[in-house]
Amino acid sequence: MTTEIGHASFLRRIAINVGAGFVPGMNAVIMGAALAAGKLGWEIVGIRDGFDGLLRPERYPDSGLVTLNPELIENLDPAGSGVLGQAVRVDPFHVRQVNKDDLVEEVDLSDLLLQRLKAERIDALISVVGGRGLSIFYKLHRKGLNTVCIPRSIENDIAATMVSFGFNSALSFTIEMLDRARQAAQSAHKIGVVEVQGENAGWLALQAGITVGADAVLIPEIPCDLRKVTERLKEKVTTRRPYGLVVVAEGTRFVGNGTAPKPASSLKDSLSPLATGDTSEHVIQQSGHAAETVAHKLQLGIATEAYPLVLGPWVRGGAPTAVDRQLGLGYGAGAVRALRAGKNGVMVAFVPPNMEFVPLSEAINKLRTVPADSEFMQIAQSLGICLGREL
Amino acid sequence: MNNQTVNSSAPTGIVLNIQRYCSHDGPGIRTTVFLKGCSLRCKWCSNPESIHPKPEVSYDPKLCVGKKECGLCLKPPFPEGAFYVVEGDDDRVRANWDLAADCDEACASLCPTKAIDMFGKRMTVNEVLDEVEKDASFYRSTHGGMTVSGGECLLQPDFTAALLEEAHRRGFNTAIETACNVPWRFVEKVLPHVDTMLHDHKLTIPERHKKWTGVDNKRILENFKKAYETFPNIDFIARTPLIPGVNADEEHIRAVLAFIRPHKNVIDYELLPYHRFGLGKYDYLGRVYELADYQSPSAELVKHLQAIIDEAFGRNGQKAA
Repeated sequence: MTTEIGHASFLRRIAINVGAGFVPGMNAVIMGAALAAGKLGWEIVGIRDGFDGLLRPERYPDSGLVTLNPELIENLDPAGSGVLGQAVRVDPFHVRQVNKDDLVEEVDLSDLLLQRLKAERIDALISVVGGRGLSIFYKLHRKGLNTVCIPRSIENDIAATMVSFGFNSALSFTIEMLDRARQAAQSAHKIGVVEVQGENAGWLALQAGITVGADAVLIPEIPCDLRKVTERLKEKVTTRRPYGLVVVAEGTRFVGNGTAPKPASSLKDSLSPLATGDTSEHVIQQSGHAAETVAHKLQLGIATEAYPLVLGPWVRGGAPTAVDRQLGLGYGAGAVRALRAGKNGVMVAFVPPNMEFVPLSEAINKLRTVPADSEFMQIAQSLGICLGREL
Repeated sequence: MNNQTVNSSAPTGIVLNIQRYCSHDGPGIRTTVFLKGCSLRCKWCSNPESIHPKPEVSYDPKLCVGKKECGLCLKPPFPEGAFYVVEGDDDRVRANWDLAADCDEACASLCPTKAIDMFGKRMTVNEVLDEVEKDASFYRSTHGGMTVSGGECLLQPDFTAALLEEAHRRGFNTAIETACNVPWRFVEKVLPHVDTMLHDHKLTIPERHKKWTGVDNKRILENFKKAYETFPNIDFIARTPLIPGVNADEEHIRAVLAFIRPHKNVIDYELLPYHRFGLGKYDYLGRVYELADYQSPSAELVKHLQAIIDEAFGRNGQKAA
């Protein structure tokens, strides 16, 4: 559902907020939106800490809204962290609070949010969100919120856009760390198994793995047979080249009997009425599980020692790359352009060379995963990188 | 089975699960009735399906046969976009939890494999007790009975009191598991029907209690103290879910002992070592488990802390783990 706002030419007051979780380049998006809005003569304010600035104004004695005036924007560090702050949860449909009886509960404050936006004379909201945030804003839009969303994703798994901002910074940092891991493995004569972000999509693992010339890259899209990986590493790790590097995305699925056994536990089971034990396939895996699984299996099959390393959330901090700064500015300005064009209920999408506007209804429930015939897959195969099974 | 004394106006409650043959929830062999709804948000909670007070939809992808064989959930009456498949060959159905949460029982009942199901259903006192009654012979031979747990069973005080009263009438021993974060009027409604009360001392310092559970422990401790003093005939068993990095330390254990030992009807203090059993239920509900990287306490630590408790209870290590 996309609706036209219909009064785009009027002087207007808009707001911008960011969803949960930090991605490098946030300030660049805010700068882009603020500069573009200022150019049109629109007033733009930032909502602090997700929606908290609006829903919990008592927490902000000097206002939960930040006026993004030219002075503030000109002095904003584009490499710095988000000027608007962050909230752990940004979901007005399930807001946790303590009620008058001191009982913790989740309440739906979506109506209150819409009222507060109206009271603040905010007639449209630009929101910088990840995949899940898109669904929340789709629901809010169906309730009447005028909104344009900007996609951000470390994994680059939002389908409607070619590149989410944040991905390039994560990729650059991952490559840097993999280079170090390779050098460390080289000097220690060991196999380094590095787990990188990527629960659903293997873009980060694949592109970084190709760049550093990894021996194997394991991604969620390809169920991994660890016997194949072991065979390949046996071929590659020789006395002349006594080290190896494996990159594994955290969401990689293993087939066959390749998974490492979890330690048994004799702890009290009746705490959990439906518990089946901590070896259940549905136990949430700790970070590092994928790397541990691969390293454990490799070490059993190869004479060379293998050790796991986990990059994990390291990639979520730091300064944005040049690409992400440009993208951030482009997305921010693009969102204002969407509002000016009367678009509503859309996500800004980078479809090179253009910025386009995709209805939220078409942006949700889609994952941008690595296709089997993608160019990166072919490059990896051409370079002799093992992808976890015969393709 | 005897239903004669319960009339149609008897309270009903939202029950999550009835688990038979429990051996840790009070004396003897017991049937534990888990009620829905909790007034805390402990980050280590192993029963996330018990937190919300109403029945809620769950999705277990391993039971789903996929779009090609079924696909019923991809069209009305399921809410638009609640369940979906991604483009390409991947046939697996995924849940969009922001939209799937609007599914009701009628929707969930359409799933032929029960991949989509509901956690929790409304039950009458007799429906619950009829299930509990199935193991009556075990209760008699082991001095066991029925335990009402949660969530927080005291959040449904009328139903819990009615369950316990009916269990007593049928001759069963009764127990509750509670954190007691409720108004005292709820507590005093239920406790007259309780033989054993298992109660949690999660953290000592109020600010840290708030950080890890959502509220401080001022009222909880007031309720405990009042319960010890008002109901001298109840056997109270204190417990601590033991989580390294949160509360698995000597200081907390000694603080709890200092609180409970003056009260002679607190007959024991148990440690529940943190575990990760069944945490996939967070996935079933589309929730994030915040303690994914926390470990269980070591056997040595548990043994050390248990020894402190044994010493305080004058047991000379007889109950050491």
